[in-house]
Amino acid sequence: MNLPLFHPSDPIASCLVGSGPGGLGSGSVAAARAAADPVTLHPGLWRAHQLGGGRQGCTASGHAVLDAELPGGGWPHGTLTELLLPHPGVGELRLLAPALAALQAPGAAQAPGHCVMLFAPPARPCSQALAQLGLDTRGWLVVQPRAPRGRAPAARHLLPDADVLWALEQSLRSGQSGAVLAWLPGPLKTDTLRRLQLAAQGYDGPVFIFRETQARLRPSPAPLRLGLQAAAFDGLVLQVLKRRGPPPPAPLRLSLVPVLLPSQQRQALARRQAGTVAPGMALA
Amino acid sequence: MLWIGLHLPLLSLEALRATLAPDQASLPLALLQAHEIIQADAAAQALGVRAGMKRATALALAPSLLLGQAEPRRDAQARRAVAHVALAYTPSVACDAERPAEVRLEVQASLRCFGGLERLLQRLRQDLQPLGHEVRLAVAPTAQAASLLVRWGEGFERGAHVQGRSALHRLLDAAPVALLLAARPHLPALEGMGLRTLGDLRALPRSGLARRCGQALLDEIDRARGDAPEPQAWIRHPPSFGSRVELYARADTTAQVLAGARVLLARLVAWAQAGHGRVGRYTLVLHHEPRHRSDARTPERTALEVALAEPSADAQHLQLLLAERLARLEMPAPALELSLQCGVLVPGTPPNAELFPTRASQREGLLRLVERLQARLGHEQVCHLVPRADHRPERATELRPVDAARMPAAAAGMVPGVMWPALQPGEPLLRPLWLLPEPLRLGSPASGDGGPGGDMPEGSQQRRGAAGPLLDGRALQVLAGPERIETGWWDGGLVLRDYYIAATPEGALVWVFRHRLPGQAGPWFLHGRFG
Repeated sequence: MNLPLFHPSDPIASCLVGSGPGGLGSGSVAAARAAADPVTLHPGLWRAHQLGGGRQGCTASGHAVLDAELPGGGWPHGTLTELLLPHPGVGELRLLAPALAALQAPGAAQAPGHCVMLFAPPARPCSQALAQLGLDTRGWLVVQPRAPRGRAPAARHLLPDADVLWALEQSLRSGQSGAVLAWLPGPLKTDTLRRLQLAAQGYDGPVFIFRETQARLRPSPAPLRLGLQAAAFDGLVLQVLKRRGPPPPAPLRLSLVPVLLPSQQRQALARRQAGTVAPGMALA
Repeated sequence: MLWIGLHLPLLSLEALRATLAPDQASLPLALLQAHEIIQADAAAQALGVRAGMKRATALALAPSLLLGQAEPRRDAQARRAVAHVALAYTPSVACDAERPAEVRLEVQASLRCFGGLERLLQRLRQDLQPLGHEVRLAVAPTAQAASLLVRWGEGFERGAHVQGRSALHRLLDAAPVALLLAARPHLPALEGMGLRTLGDLRALPRSGLARRCGQALLDEIDRARGDAPEPQAWIRHPPSFGSRVELYARADTTAQVLAGARVLLARLVAWAQAGHGRVGRYTLVLHHEPRHRSDARTPERTALEVALAEPSADAQHLQLLLAERLARLEMPAPALELSLQCGVLVPGTPPNAELFPTRASQREGLLRLVERLQARLGHEQVCHLVPRADHRPERATELRPVDAARMPAAAAGMVPGVMWPALQPGEPLLRPLWLLPEPLRLGSPASGDGGPGGDMPEGSQQRRGAAGPLLDGRALQVLAGPERIETGWWDGGLVLRDYYIAATPEGALVWVFRHRLPGQAGPWFLHGRFG
């Protein structure tokens, strides 16, 4: 029942599969051990019920529940990670903050060149709030698209700017390290994403792409895709849509750094349960 | 004394080739002077074009032949770049007008520094490569002999290298008479007398030879043998750089301009290396075609100022930056000529390259990345986040364009600013992570009641929270607040606001405020989202 899954670009894995079960060398102890745990043979190889390992390492997300479901046990480096949100502001930065802080920590392997780069953020990041989350924003770079000349300013958020895509690809190819966060709203061509994924493979750090929820219906070359949704209150419902490993689990509920005090949160929840029709009443 | 003679046999042709558009580069090329071919490149020679042909004959043989006029000024600029490359190896570089395709350099004192003659010659060849010239080298104890040997060529595939005086004398005695400049007017006579080599000339009585052919011939032989002093016209390193290229075909696109500027950048780098420095900024001027139509608005020239964050003497990097700058440029008219100027040389050699990535090399890589992004997107589009000590949320975070020149300090964590302490567990976040650039005015519910006012007691506000403001047509639920921000009266940016935390129906938290106006409830504004 255990089929060895392999990554197409791995020569070892493909030759292993090509040689078939008989070609493994039935008497060999090493082959038997490899059959027991193919991960020891090559990091790009795993069984269908296992989670695939990251090849370039990963950074723990800071949420133990999430880490258990992510291949490699954290946000992978050197691949695209797609986060699909209904709108900016569901708690996405609070979700990533522990990983970003870990990348910036003085002892981290990434520390020397660490630099968090934001591409076309949907609004201005607030440095005070980021500092409260333990992030040092002084090394951050924010790359914004140029204001369009002819188009209405509102149209800017409908399509990713070609310049932003270029800048993102250049940054991924530049050999820097650190986290990259890019907001690419609107429909993206698959070959654009594939280019980015190829560029990301040489990058030393996690690469997060924020897209709209509608994009989940379209295929994407990103090996890890997560759907995010706000949960009342200070929570996040996170669904793994695609990963290297077994079929995704049921949606996870994570609690984020709170905005409300516990008492306020209890009150608000109580009120919400008591008056679920309140918004409708307000409209009437 | 040890002299290296550099001979550029195809200098004029190569100087012309540098002005060609990229799509013309593979076509055969020939130089024309007074309607006669004086030099043809290999592709043209393969088609049968020879020096001395008439223009029409050459075109009949090779219809795709490109013809260019010989121009001494263009050749002189090309040779100056070669001399600049040589200046990086020794301060003693000489060239003169009599031999327009030659440069001589004295390297005895530099041998140790560059690890011997072989290594020096190898590096010299490498450095000359970007200029795109075919180079022949010869080494001899005297400048005159180096000049003779490098033009001799016959039998010396990679140039003649002579270091000892006696070996030089033996070699010179076998050199053909035609190599001597002073012998050129007398070549038929000398040929008639059976004098073919320098050795034959030296066997003759000196006074008689001087009477027939002039003292200059004897002087040339004496200098070559090292028996007479050799005064030289030394080249000095000019404090500022300027070079000009007249394009073969007018450049309509920036890609063609870039191709034309390539040789200018190579010369710029040669100049910078000759001064043991780097280039911090330079100006590329496009000279436009004068419009014959009555279009007076078309400027005569466009100056493109390229400033580097960190001075560089890396031709590829300079070219990359120029490419990004040119990609943004809209050319008002086709360009006919390009000129490149650089007034300031930043002293100091570039830092050593690293085998393994270190903090310094990574920072430099980041710097170059920022430089490229800014060159393409614009200076204002690549920013730092700078925190400020201000209670007004819109002023507390400033997006400041990265000043690439001061980037080193920034990367080292020296950006001025105020840091808030990190949260302890259980403490709530005080500010939203996303701040809208402009507060967004929210609709108010149709009931007419504006919801809670800032001056109401907290209990009543929470009871009526359901009748909150509308975001995208759906009511927000006001959960916590108010946080009053009342500041800025001293600088004209007075802010009187009560901020509340509200929730959208899905449960996402937003930051809304209303102006605290006494006695009335104003409209709601959305100012941030807790991302």
